[in-house]
Order: sequence, then structure tokens, then C-alpha cells
Amino acid sequence: MSSGLASDEVAEDYKNSLEDLTTNDRFQISNLTVIAKENTEHAMAISRVLENHIRTTPPAQKLPALYVVDSIVKNVGTPYTLFLGRNMYQTFMNAYTLVDSQTRRKLDEMLKTWKEPVPGSLDTRPVFPPDITRSIENALIKARTAALQQQQVRGQQEVYNRSRVGTPPGWATTPTAPQNAPRFPPPTSQPPQGRSGPVNGYPPTGDAIPVRSTPTPQLQQEVDISSLNRDIDGLISAARNEFANNPLDPSVQQRLKALLDLQGIMQLQQLTQEQLKLVRDQVSALAPKSTIPASQPTSSHIPVTSNPTIATPPVTQPFSQPLQQLLNPGTLAELIKATATRQHPTPPPQVPSVLPQMPIHSSAPQAPTPTPENPLIAALRAKGLLPAASAPPGASSSVTPTFPFIVPGQVRYTPPVSTPQMNTAEVHLNVQMNTASIKIPRTMLITSLYDARSNRCGTCGRRFFATEEGKEKKARHLDWHFRTNQRMTDAARRAQNRSWYVDERDWIKSREVGDDQIITETESTNESAGSDGGAAKKGPAKQWIRAPNDATLRNTPCPICQEKFESTWSEDVQDWIWQDAVKVGNRVYHASCYAEVTKDGPTPSGRTGTPDSVLGKRKAEGTDSPGQNVRIKTEPA
Amino acid sequence: MSLPGLELTQPSAEREFVPAPPSQINLSPGSEWRFEVAFGTAVRVKLETGTAELFGTELAPSQTYTFSGTKAAIYTWHGCTLEVSAGDAVSGIDGMPATATAGRGGYGAGGCQSEYIAEETPMVEYANVHFALETLRNEAKATGKDGPRVLILGPENAGKTSLSKILTAYAVKVGRQPVVVNLDPTEGMLSVPGTLTATAFRAMLDVEEGWGSSPMSGPSAVPVKLPLVYFYPMVNPLEAEGSVYRPIVSRLALSVMGRMAEDEDARETGVIVDTPGILSQSRAGALEMINHIVTEFSITTILVIGSERLYSLMMKNYDNKPSSSASAAASDERISVVKLSKSGGCVDRDAAFMKAVRESQIRTYFFGNPVSSTASSALSLSASTNVTLSPHAQHLDFNGLALYNYTTSSAEDDQADEDDYDPAQLTTGESFLPGGDNDAEWAAQRSENVSALPGILLSAANESAPATAVGNALVPLKKVLTPAPSTLANTLLAITNCSPTSNVAEIRDASTMGFLYVADVDSERGKIRVLAPVGGRVPARALVWGKRWPAEVVGLVG
Repeated sequence: MSSGLASDEVAEDYKNSLEDLTTNDRFQISNLTVIAKENTEHAMAISRVLENHIRTTPPAQKLPALYVVDSIVKNVGTPYTLFLGRNMYQTFMNAYTLVDSQTRRKLDEMLKTWKEPVPGSLDTRPVFPPDITRSIENALIKARTAALQQQQVRGQQEVYNRSRVGTPPGWATTPTAPQNAPRFPPPTSQPPQGRSGPVNGYPPTGDAIPVRSTPTPQLQQEVDISSLNRDIDGLISAARNEFANNPLDPSVQQRLKALLDLQGIMQLQQLTQEQLKLVRDQVSALAPKSTIPASQPTSSHIPVTSNPTIATPPVTQPFSQPLQQLLNPGTLAELIKATATRQHPTPPPQVPSVLPQMPIHSSAPQAPTPTPENPLIAALRAKGLLPAASAPPGASSSVTPTFPFIVPGQVRYTPPVSTPQMNTAEVHLNVQMNTASIKIPRTMLITSLYDARSNRCGTCGRRFFATEEGKEKKARHLDWHFRTNQRMTDAARRAQNRSWYVDERDWIKSREVGDDQIITETESTNESAGSDGGAAKKGPAKQWIRAPNDATLRNTPCPICQEKFESTWSEDVQDWIWQDAVKVGNRVYHASCYAEVTKDGPTPSGRTGTPDSVLGKRKAEGTDSPGQNVRIKTEPA
Repeated sequence: MSLPGLELTQPSAEREFVPAPPSQINLSPGSEWRFEVAFGTAVRVKLETGTAELFGTELAPSQTYTFSGTKAAIYTWHGCTLEVSAGDAVSGIDGMPATATAGRGGYGAGGCQSEYIAEETPMVEYANVHFALETLRNEAKATGKDGPRVLILGPENAGKTSLSKILTAYAVKVGRQPVVVNLDPTEGMLSVPGTLTATAFRAMLDVEEGWGSSPMSGPSAVPVKLPLVYFYPMVNPLEAEGSVYRPIVSRLALSVMGRMAEDEDARETGVIVDTPGILSQSRAGALEMINHIVTEFSITTILVIGSERLYSLMMKNYDNKPSSSASAAASDERISVVKLSKSGGCVDRDAAFMKAVRESQIRTYFFGNPVSSTASSALSLSASTNVTLSPHAQHLDFNGLALYNYTTSSAEDDQADEDDYDPAQLTTGESFLPGGDNDAEWAAQRSENVSALPGILLSAANESAPATAVGNALVPLKKVLTPAPSTLANTLLAITNCSPTSNVAEIRDASTMGFLYVADVDSERGKIRVLAPVGGRVPARALVWGKRWPAEVVGLVG
């Protein structure tokens, strides 16, 4: 037609022609194909134009445009196959994302033909190289799987959402477009029925029946449902379009979600006739308000998160059992909910009588859950989309159904048995040990763990009271940190090892010592520990040394009495020590032995004969060397 | 592309093998951050603002905590901000092979295998249990009664140990000193797996290490805890109809009661008993064992997590019944049974993970904290607890050892045992016995063997006085004879506080002073090479072989 022209002119021309293509018009499509065929030298430009057009055109016009592509590659082939194939993944997926489920099915069918040779052609190669179609297919499979999983995860949540959809009249303001409904069936009714998904086990044809239209046992509902579904579809598509325009507006988002949830319920087809009627009334109340056509949106505007995953409600939704258990059949609202969630094909007889109260029902479902109000509901309510004050009277009480006499947060003050002024001075502590009592939140008691002890150690997070005593304790505690750190740097140089565990007797006798307790001789012991030899100067009262690490030295008995030294664990020193020991030169003696031997002479070498063992070598049992003092704490009266 | 599912896969692929940058985690009040860190990787967590606690133990502000090989949760009552960053990959000490999971960082913040924020936690319940216990403790203090003795029951992975940590940490926080008893041999507390322990806690729990550390020759940044340890080298408490577990529990309870009688703080605060999950499954004998524990520890409070069935059973059996304590009648002390929710954060810890935990516990016993967090130790005030310990390797003459082994398992296993270390016994027709674990048969067999192999088999049962021999015959503890079985390699030997010539009942009941790790067995020369925590001669005590549990730990020594 316009061969010989410059590429961009051809492209411009082609673009204009494409824009006229709004419906699946065979004539127009074949015309466009012919143009493409006659301008193969501009194939690249035309391909780009096609891609751009498909990307930017409104969802409703994507299918015809893609049909143009289909027609071109099948009738013309190279070089278009090459050029269009390059970006086909993006083009296809982009379109697929935005279109509704019926269009998706068409796209699926089209994709299927791309994997086969052109009908009637001698060429046995598929329309598009297999790697292109495969990548698209894989992506679709993934998306479907993800949607399914998401669906399952949301299973429980949907239960809540499901019955919330008795939409209140606050929607008058929203532009809705029921007349567009047939053109914009929601993409939610079914997973796009691909041919190769692991989900659906490769059905040979792409025309799997949408779940929505599965024959239902309740035939008399059909009339209701189909029209109702159409109406809902219309509302959804309107909401969807608005969402596309205002993706950041939470109210739009929520409305869309609520509608999709409603659709989910409809698809389950578990609603009773009466409930359906009610839903229909609500929907029809909403519908006529709209005037703005839905296909308006600037289609270049790709929704950030269009929500096509609400799809595929499996016919047997896995409703959580615990939820059902939570249901308290006493309240009417919950009864309705029970019917909705348990999927009873027939309603309990009470239901019809309460149907006029449907709006209440809209906020009831979350009542039995212990969680705070569903954020969606809260948001809807804040937007005025839900009746704010119409919370069912049962809701508040059913939050704590098991112990209705106790207001949450309340601490029960009962006559004190004792006077436990303990650590939580202000908070009188009286919590009953039973299952009901321990479920009551008592935030004020948490302060006893935190705020009451505001003085916090920066190193280990330990807390102290802000009192004088607390400060003292903290000071000692910080001392302990300081000493320990010092000793750790010292200790890093020598080899350390795990100690033996204590035996039963020692364990029973041992006393845990906090790092904040008064250790009067701390200073002196540290000094004496610092210089082992200097211990003697302190007199027999505090004679001890660290158990030597050297194995031979450790196994060497006291040269005087030939008894071995016994290692004991000192909490204070955090080390094994030898009580009643003194190191003189390279040898370690029992301090008592040494004292006895040296009481006449200053040097141990002056030792002659046997020591004065008649009096009995007295180990420093009663003396207050640090380990002893620490281990056997005097018990408070 | 906004098609659902598509965007899910792409980012993670990009992030693979890229060290995760430090990320901020904001927790609203009452929520918790749950995270899993694989063995071999480390994650650093720093509390930037607010307050946070890990199983009840508060994190210090601005301190860097390093976690490795853990599944835990950081909870906040007041809201907080955490900074999470990837730690150094942890390489093993002494060139030990990295565990199977090593080297595979997760995709979560800081390289966590998995991490997320949970809004719903049972912490309110758990804290209330603490306050209820505090109420009882105040009462005990005022009236001179004993503090509450708490028994925690629930199936595997229901959060029993986490709950006992929380209760312990809260009690410590308010200045109490609870005695915590671990009756779960699958996981050690301050010791290796296969131990039943009791420990009085006064000092803070170790945020990084779970419970803390038992005494070492050197200092420790977090005060060490002093556990009383009993060795029970089997997974199942009901092994041999509980004939081994039961007396050890009794003995442990006796020690705890002794401590409470003398230690005023312990008496006021009471006891917290953690149990193996297997007791909460409907196994034959499990209820009897629970009853045994309830009786021995004079339990006053039974907490049941995550099991309605068990809860109703416990309600029926114990609720409002008088406790078994001696003073119960006088003071009208009654048992209360409380049901607790299981945390949604409880994850199944698969066999591989549990094995890694066990290995890590054993390694820590000998070598100290395996996590070397360079960054935190560089800080002047470090909360890190990494201490490298140097165990001593030495050769022991197998003939000189009094090594005992439990012979309680199924016939086939025993057969394998015999096969391993005494081929001669194979010919005595043991393989024809249908029920190897029958006590009577064992006794009969033993005497048979003695007559068949005089002088070689030195069963303590036959040495003792006839009166005790009857009792001992029921103790499925048997001396391991020369030559040293090759299966000794890579297993643990417990050194009991019990002389080598004691009878088997005493050995069974004795507390443990430590463990040896058998690195090598030289059957021909009759020598074994062992790793001992403490240098010097290995004390001449009766040893018990942890053959079946905690089983083999390969590669502790290179």
C-alpha cells in the first residue's frame, strides 16, 4: 500500500490504523495483516508499533491487537516472527496480566496455536520458536501455582472477608459501570486454563469450564446467580478501573477487595436463596448509580497490584476448624456466618428470620476472633463504608467469651493473704493460676519486669531499681563486669578448660551468688590473687591460690603432709582455687602446714622431721577465704 | 510485572550468594521477630531502640548479639527497632567439617534462613504464668511454705523449653532463684544431650547460648551456672519400661529437695521442670512416668502446652488434688493444671537440625563457644561469651576402666552389641532368645555366661551380696569387657561420681562429674585415646558409655 515510504511514516500510518481497531473485527485484522505483508521492509518498525500498541491500549482492545500479531506471524511469517518474537514474552505477559479471564482463555488458545505449525503450511516448524512459547507458558504456570497457593493461604482470611460483603450503602459515590459488565468479566472466576500447567494436568483444550459456571445442585438459584454475578462483575470491573487510576487510594483498594471477596462467595454457591436475594438487593442498589464507562482508564497506567489472584476458589475451600469452634451459635449474626462458612447447602431454619439484619452480619465475623479488629474492616469503617456504630452487641462480649466477668486488662485485687511488698512495690500481685486467669492481659504487671527497674546495665541489659539500694547493686554489678573483663583478657592468654561438674553434696551445699552481692573481701582477694605469694602476708585467714593449670604441679601433693590439694570452685574468683594453700617459691603448701612448720623458722627449707601433726593439720575450713565465704552463705533468718 | 507469583521468584534469585546488608526491623509492641539461623552461618542482632527480650532475657541496648544454629524469637513488650546483619560464616574449630547446612546463607534479613514478624504470640499467657508463680512465691515467702513446683508438659516442638527459659528468665529478673530441672535427654541444658540436670539460676541467662555455660577454669562474661548432672544415655525415657529413667529422676528430685531444704532462695522460688515431648504422647507408660515426676518433685503446677488431650487427662488426674509434698496435708497445697497456647513460632526442628544442635552442645562442652564473633569481641564491653576451651587428649588403658553400658534396647540391637565386642558370646546361643530385653532372661543369661566364661565376665551383679544381686539384676547396666569395642570411637563416656567397684544400681544413680570423648580405639593394644575436659589423670571412677545416645559425634577431634 504505502511501500517506498520512510519507516516512520509507515509506522505512523500503521499506528493510526491499529488505533481504529477496537473490536475483534476480522476485516480490519486481515487488512492490517495485508499492510504488514506489503511492508516487510519496515517489519521492524511495524513490529515495534504493534508492541507499543498492545502495551498501551486498554485491556479490552488488547485481544484484537494480539490477534493482529497472530494473523501476521501466521500469514506473513518472517521477518515478523523474528521481530515480534523478540519481545513476545513481555508483550504477551503484559497483556495477560491486565485482561480478564475470558480474554485470558482466548490468549491461552492463541498461545496454543503458536506452538503448532501454521495450519495448511508446508513448514513443520511451530509459529513461534518453542523457546518463546515455553517461557511464556512457564511463567503462566508459575503464576497459576502461586495464585493457588495464595488462595490456600488466604483461605481462612477469606472466611472472614466472605460474609462481610453485605455491602453497606456508602457506595453511592463510587462510579460504577454495570453496563460494562459483560465486557469486563472479572478475571477472578477461574485460573486461566492453560494447556500445560501442572495445576490442571494438561487438558488438551483450553476451554475448561470456569468454576463459576459449574452446574450447581441448587438449580433454582441459577437465575439469581447468573444475573447477580454479572452485576458483581460489573462492580468489580468498575472498581478495578478506578483502582487502576488510583492505585494508591486505599479505599478503592479495599472496595475492590471486598467485591472480589463477595464474588468468591458467590462462586462457592453456598449461599442460601434468601442470602442471595439480600446480596442481590445490595448489589442492585449500588449498580445504577454509575454513569462513567469503565473502559475509560488511561491504559498506559499499569496497576501496581491488580489483584487477579482471588481466582480459583476451590470448590471445597479448606475452612479452618478452629474458626468453627470459635463460633458461638448463640448470636444470630454468628449463625449466619456459620452457614456461610460451613457451606451448608441448606440453611438452618433460623436464618431467614434474621436476614433483614444482614448489615450487622457484615461486621460480625471478626467478633469471635481474639485478634483486634480486622484492619480491612476498620479501614472500611473509617471510610464510612461500613456502619461504624452498628457493631453487633454480641461482638464485644464474645471477645472474651470464656470469662465474661473479667474485663480485659483488669488486675484482680483480692484481699492479700500475705504482705508481698517484694519487688513490684506499686503493683499488688495476685494472679490466679488457672487457664482463664492467665489469658487476661495485664499490661501493668509487665512494668514490674521493665519500668519498675529503670536502672539498666548497658552491658548485659540487667535491670536494677532506681533506688539507692539498686544503685549500689548496680555499682557492684558494674564492678563485676569490670573485673570479669579484666580477667577475661588475662585468661585469653592461658588455656582454659571446662571444669568437672560438682557432685550432689556440693551442689546442694552450693549457693548461687549474684554478681551484685556484697563481697567484702573482694578487694583483698583480688590483690592476693594477683600475687599468689603475697597471700601469706594476709595471714592464714585468707590463704588460697588459684589451682595451677600445670598438670604436674596440680598433681604434686603438699610437700609437708603429702596430701593432694583439692580444687574447689569459687564463684567470686570465677576459677578453681585451692583452699588453705600457699605458694612458696615453686612449691605449693597447705597454708596451715606451712604455718605450723614455719612458726619457728622463716624458711620452709628449715623443715625437719615430721610436722606437728599431733595437733592435726587443720585445713582452713572455718576461715573466710573467698570461696568458702561465698559458697556457704549465711542464711537470712 | 505484576502477575502474581512472577515477582516472587525473581528477587530471591538475585539476592542469592550476596551477603545481606544490615536491615532494620521495627517491631510494634507485643509482636516478635522470629528467625532461624543455620549452623555454620551467623547473624548479628543489635537492639537500637526500645526494649526486647529473647525468651524472657532482655537484650542490652546497642550490644551486638551473634546467633548461629538457632531458631528463636525476639519479643518486645514496648516496641523496638532491631538491626540485623550477617555475621561471619563460622568455620569449625580444629578444621572440623562444616555441618551439612553450612555455607548456605538464607535469604532473610542478615542472612537468616527464615525470618518474619509475628503479631500473635502467647507471651501474655506466659507472662501471666510468671505473675501467677510470683503470687505463689510471695505467699511462700510470707508463710514459710515451699515455692511452686512447675511441671511443663507438651508434645515435641511445642515450646516447652522456650517456656521454661521465659519463666526462668523472668524469675531471675525479679531477683528470684529458680531451680530448673531438665528431664529431656534429647537436648542438654548446660550440658551434653543425654543428661538430666538441675541448676539453680540466679544470674541472667545467656542470650546467645540459650541457658549459659557450666563452670570453666576461666572467667565468663555471663556468670556460669552450676548444674547437677545425671547421665541417661537413651532417647526415650520409657526405655526398659522406665526402669532406668525412673530411679534417676527420683535421685535428681532428691537432690533438688535437698537443695531446697537448705537454700532459702531456692525454696521460695521453687522448681521448674522441663520434660521430654515423648512423655506427652500417648505411649504406654508415659502417664505413669508423668505421675512419677509429679510425685517425686511434689509438683504444684502443671502447665500443658499445645495438647488438649493431655490437658484434659491432667485435669482429670491432678487438678485440685493435693500435691505430694510432705506438708501438703497441713497446708492444703493443691495442684493446679493450666493449659497454655502453643506459640505459632514453634517450628519443627528436623532430625538434621537436632543432630547439629546435639553436636554443637557436645562440641561446646569440650571446646567452648564455637561462634567467634570478631566484631563483638572487638567491642570493649562485649556481651559475647565466646571462650575457647582446650580439652586434654590422653591415652587410657582400656583394661583399667570400669566402663558400663546400658543393654536395654531391642534384641537386634543387643545382638549387634555383642557382635561388636565379644564374638565369643555369639556362640552361646543368644541369638535364639526371642525377647532380649526381658529382665529375667537377662539375669539368666548373665549367669549362664559367667559359667561359660569364668573370670572374664565380671558382672557386678554376681559380685555383690545376694540381696542386692536381685535388685541389680534388674538394672540393665553391664560392664563392657575387653577388648575395647571399636564402636567406642566417637562416642561419649560419662564419668560418674561413683567408685569403679560400686554395684550397678549405684552407678546408674550416680551423678556425673564430666564426660570423655573417645577419639580413637586401639583394640590390639587395649588403649583408647580420649579427650578429657580437664587435664590430669582421668579420675578412677565408674564410666558409663553413651553408646546409643548421644551416639556418635564424628570429627570432634581432627
